Amino acid sequence: MTAQALHQHQPHRPEDGHKLHGYPPGDLAIWVFILAELGAFFVLFTVYAFTRLKHLQLFAEMQRTLDSDAGMINTLLLITGSWCVARAVAAIKRNHCRASAHWLLAAIGSGVGFLIVKYFEYGAKFAAGINLDTNLFYTFYIALTAFHAMHVVLGMAILLLVWKKAMAGGYSAQDHHGMETGASYWHMVDLVWIILFPLVYVMR
Amino acid sequence: MGVHFLNVIWVALMVATVLTWLIGKTGELSTAMVVAVLVISAVKGWLIIYDFMALRRVRLLWRGLVLGWLLLTLSIILLAYWLGIK
Repeated sequence: MTAQALHQHQPHRPEDGHKLHGYPPGDLAIWVFILAELGAFFVLFTVYAFTRLKHLQLFAEMQRTLDSDAGMINTLLLITGSWCVARAVAAIKRNHCRASAHWLLAAIGSGVGFLIVKYFEYGAKFAAGINLDTNLFYTFYIALTAFHAMHVVLGMAILLLVWKKAMAGGYSAQDHHGMETGASYWHMVDLVWIILFPLVYVMR
Repeated sequence: MGVHFLNVIWVALMVATVLTWLIGKTGELSTAMVVAVLVISAVKGWLIIYDFMALRRVRLLWRGLVLGWLLLTLSIILLAYWLGIK
């Protein structure tokens, strides 16, 4: 696929109605990136699940020490962030530029909330002397959640750039391809957490 | 995508999250509970892919890739938990 082809398809518009689109919303390059990221998380989740098989008691004991309330709050924050981004895209499709920018800012706020909760969650664990070397479960817990948190930070950086352009009136109902690109990445970050939360915090 | 519909999806995802958390509060999960948690995750993922990622009206190839990732990941996790129960 040529670089030109990656950018050629049109943004999804309300007037398209029920028409089936050939390409997902946003830049095709971001979808290649998204699929690669999903592949990486698939490997990590699979390795976690099968490693747990050999250490059932350790994983069950250690999972009981996790703060599932923090995990739940963070899930609610990411879902809310994803909803805000979906509302931002819906608003720009109606040419509501200001409202779209406000929804993007709310999504970034959700990301900030996620990182604050994660900061306190990690802080409590580190204060208890827990680190990557504590045991196999905590190696997975810290590696998986920190790797995901890095994606949250990258997603927020992308949304910040999209927000800046939205504030400058850079998007419209006819041209919001860039916003859909950022939105797609942010939804991927949410989608991964939808599996990470039950896998690490709930299923024991 | 109508904004009212997006709001409904958001509320459904929030309720499903609280339900998953409550199931986790019961302690060690039975096989049925593990299946319930994975089914809830599948529904949540499906809603995010279809309605937030807006892949509902995108060619099957793209939808299939992301939905396939979701279902394959959850199936592998289910297999690993089932082997742990055996």
